Amino acid sequence: MTEGALGQIAKKELREITRDGRFTIVAAATLLLLVAALAFGLRQSAAVRAERAAAQASADEHFREQDDKNPHVAAHYGTYVFKPSGALTFVDPGVEPFVGSSVKLEAHRRNALEGARAQDSTSIARVGRLSVAAVLQLLVPLLVIGLGFSAWTSERERGTLRMLAASGVRPGVLFGGKVLGLAAALAGVLVPAALVIVGAAMLGGVGHAPAPRALSIAAAYAAYFGVFVALALGVSARSRSSRGALVALLGLWVVWSLAMPRAVLDVAALASPVPGSSEVQRAVAHSLERGLPGGAPREARVEAITEAMLEEQGFAGAETLMDPALLGAVELQAEARYESEVIDFHFAEWERQKARQERVAAWLGALAPPVAMRSLSSALAGTDEAHHRHFADAAEAHRRAFVDMLNREIAEHAGEDVWAYRAGRETWARAPAFRYEPPPLGWALSSQGVNAGSLLLWLVFASAFAWWSGKRVRVV
Amino acid sequence: MLQAVGLKKHYGEVVALKGLDLKVEAGEVFCLLGANGAGKTTTIQLFLGFVEPTAGKALIAEREVRLHPLETKRELAYIPENVMLYPNLTGLENLRFFVALAGKAELSDAELSATLERAGLARAAVDRRVGTYSKGMRQKVGIALAMAKKARVLLLDEPTSGLDPKASNEFSELLEEVKKDGVAVLMATHDIFRSKEVGDRVGIMKHGELVATMSTADLSHADLERVYLEHMHD
Repeated sequence: MTEGALGQIAKKELREITRDGRFTIVAAATLLLLVAALAFGLRQSAAVRAERAAAQASADEHFREQDDKNPHVAAHYGTYVFKPSGALTFVDPGVEPFVGSSVKLEAHRRNALEGARAQDSTSIARVGRLSVAAVLQLLVPLLVIGLGFSAWTSERERGTLRMLAASGVRPGVLFGGKVLGLAAALAGVLVPAALVIVGAAMLGGVGHAPAPRALSIAAAYAAYFGVFVALALGVSARSRSSRGALVALLGLWVVWSLAMPRAVLDVAALASPVPGSSEVQRAVAHSLERGLPGGAPREARVEAITEAMLEEQGFAGAETLMDPALLGAVELQAEARYESEVIDFHFAEWERQKARQERVAAWLGALAPPVAMRSLSSALAGTDEAHHRHFADAAEAHRRAFVDMLNREIAEHAGEDVWAYRAGRETWARAPAFRYEPPPLGWALSSQGVNAGSLLLWLVFASAFAWWSGKRVRVV
Repeated sequence: MLQAVGLKKHYGEVVALKGLDLKVEAGEVFCLLGANGAGKTTTIQLFLGFVEPTAGKALIAEREVRLHPLETKRELAYIPENVMLYPNLTGLENLRFFVALAGKAELSDAELSATLERAGLARAAVDRRVGTYSKGMRQKVGIALAMAKKARVLLLDEPTSGLDPKASNEFSELLEEVKKDGVAVLMATHDIFRSKEVGDRVGIMKHGELVATMSTADLSHADLERVYLEHMHD
């Protein structure tokens, strides 16, 4: 009996929604926007991918084809690496349009990534950035509100609530039927969109999008929409009129989706400020010249590193090293190690400050599902700040290997006059190639505990609220 | 089949029902006559479980409504003054929906259509959206629901209000059909004429109290009207 009633209620809800002309218009508009956002995202992704691949090939060729020169001079000339576009960028571009995509790798400097696409955009393009994620995060909740705000109030206003109440149906079955009906109407819009997304992705050559991440994004959005379905039903059950329910739900959407994202960032920045890139670079430059804060002066530290390196190679001290060329090469490497120490110190502190600010933002964002979802979505798509930093760290590791290789070339082949030595294309061809491996899903999720947890808690709370409200709908 | 034992309902200081004792047997139509605010609708709502009694008991098929809300509702059918249905669904879809809620999802469309026709709904109207129905047509769907559910109790609240004479007569005939199926009917109304037409017994309510109960077999229309007006002017 219960199963029959549940199915009938869900069918009735779905029929009522789909036979309402407004649903057809709103659903069609949402689907159109999703497809447009998808088309735009795929085109952008493909263009960026091709552009960066070509740029990387060009930079590699430029390095390999350079004239004979001293390897350390070549290290100063450096090379460039380009951040590959993530497989799911077309779904959620995250911070990608606003952060740099290329970095110069050179000796003595850890450069910041440059070349943000947003810098080259017009102001109109920046404001009207349409993405699949934006449609899913902002517009689909509006669709859910539009479909669900009168789920209970219309029963009362129409007079069918008394017929329902007199029927002997269990409140839980009635509630379940309304949830299923609303979810089915929503699925009617989103499932075709999802199929179009998957199909277009396969045709567009991004079929290698990692399945675990894609499935995780789908699950996260399902939970997100579930929050709004439950809230719409709960508010409708508690409201005296459909108008009241609609105003309450729209007010919540405005606060959560428009006001809170900005407020969270501003409060987090106030509570836990983070220096800018140029400030960090100044601190690095100061420490390179004067030594680390609270540490030995530069010359003393480089000398200590040199002594340690000589000991590693079996020499008692610099004065016992008979070959000046070898000493010159060791000192070059010691300088490089000191620079790495300084960079690691300041960048580690910078990372800690950023992580602290992100934690503050995450806890504040737990108050609003759209804020949590925005962070979670870009993390799962691999387009958040953490993934950007992962690439930057990988580029830095490659820079050190690259510079080290060139310095070792001097140590092994330069002879007495280190600076007179010239290497050629054979040497450049041996430079390590940069291959970036994006981090796995587990790594992405490890920093999203607060966001994922808050979304789940909201789903539980909203469901309990909807259930409790539905049971208490007053007939008279 | 349907019984009130010392049933009382207070809304704060306001006494809606003073203490009702009433019994309606299977196959009997009992009409509650009274002016607006007499307590008729409150009585119906207490049997429906829409409100809880302040004291006393409302029983359906010997089960107390307050303690067995779902089981008692499955025994009854309810036709309010305005039978409100889902306007975007057809008559058949509405009936199928409410019948499924009552635990009779196994009834086929053919059976439900036949029930609608038995309740007097034109064949052509069965597959039309209820938004196009008149009040009388919606009421027929309500009667069809009672028949399809095989309800043992039928609660009617001003069922002929707003109906034209033809529709009211059709309704009276349908009530006779329902009665023959052994259904106990409690009808709240201020239509003296209809009470005499369809009722086996009539109870006059005034200020929350059942002030008189009589069998309609021994009364003419004029008698009933006289008795009613005497009580109203007391």
